[in-house]
Amino acid sequence: MQNLSELLRRLIAAEVEFILVGGFAAVAHGVTLVTRDVDICCRFTDANLMRIQRAFADLHPVHRSRPDLPLDLTKEQCASLKNLYIRTDLGVVDCLGEILGVGGFDEVAKHGVEVDLPGGKCRLLDLDALIRAKEAMGRDHDRITVKHLQEIQKRQARN
Amino acid sequence: MTLTATVFASTNVKPNDAKAHSLLMHDRTSNREGALNETPTVYGSVEPGAAAGDIDISLLEESLRLSPWERMLANDDALNFGASLCAAMERRNAKP
Repeated sequence: MQNLSELLRRLIAAEVEFILVGGFAAVAHGVTLVTRDVDICCRFTDANLMRIQRAFADLHPVHRSRPDLPLDLTKEQCASLKNLYIRTDLGVVDCLGEILGVGGFDEVAKHGVEVDLPGGKCRLLDLDALIRAKEAMGRDHDRITVKHLQEIQKRQARN
Repeated sequence: MTLTATVFASTNVKPNDAKAHSLLMHDRTSNREGALNETPTVYGSVEPGAAAGDIDISLLEESLRLSPWERMLANDDALNFGASLCAAMERRNAKP
């Protein structure tokens, strides 16, 4: 059973410093395409990465590319990480230090819009930046997502 | 409610669209000889002008009426519904 919303709620509850990006951010904006993972851009400090680790501690987190390797970060490992791909019992979370088409965490954070969720406030990438990021990725499904996002943008401009 | 929306999403028919319902029902039951005639399900919009390019506008509008959190929950429902369909197909294909 996948539960991406619960994964997001846990990140908020653990006070992880992150911006929601990717397909789940697109869904939050209104895109009707189903996404299979949670992508976040986060600050890659050891404190922040440890918060992520604690948030999923009881969900049997493993490294996505090495499912035999439980997530058991040390401060030394944290210092060398640029991205972190996690698989949990409730789904996949990709933690990225940089977003193609937008930039590093500080630049991404400038394009964060706050939304109120039941678990607390969450920042997600705004429409303009999300379109840029999806265009930069350039995969087939990203191009379809861009069309959805542009249509949403048009409607918001009209209202 | 979300699951229903997901099911309808697969046929691009709005749940509250009585005309669309009747069109689909007609397709499934109409037959010159009186026997059940399963014609292919109508994919694509049954409402003229409902699609703009590759986007089904009626689905998009339905999504925009929800809150961000409701959209996220709907995504989870669709994801799990899809997974259960895949699992059912695997079980079916595994039968001798």
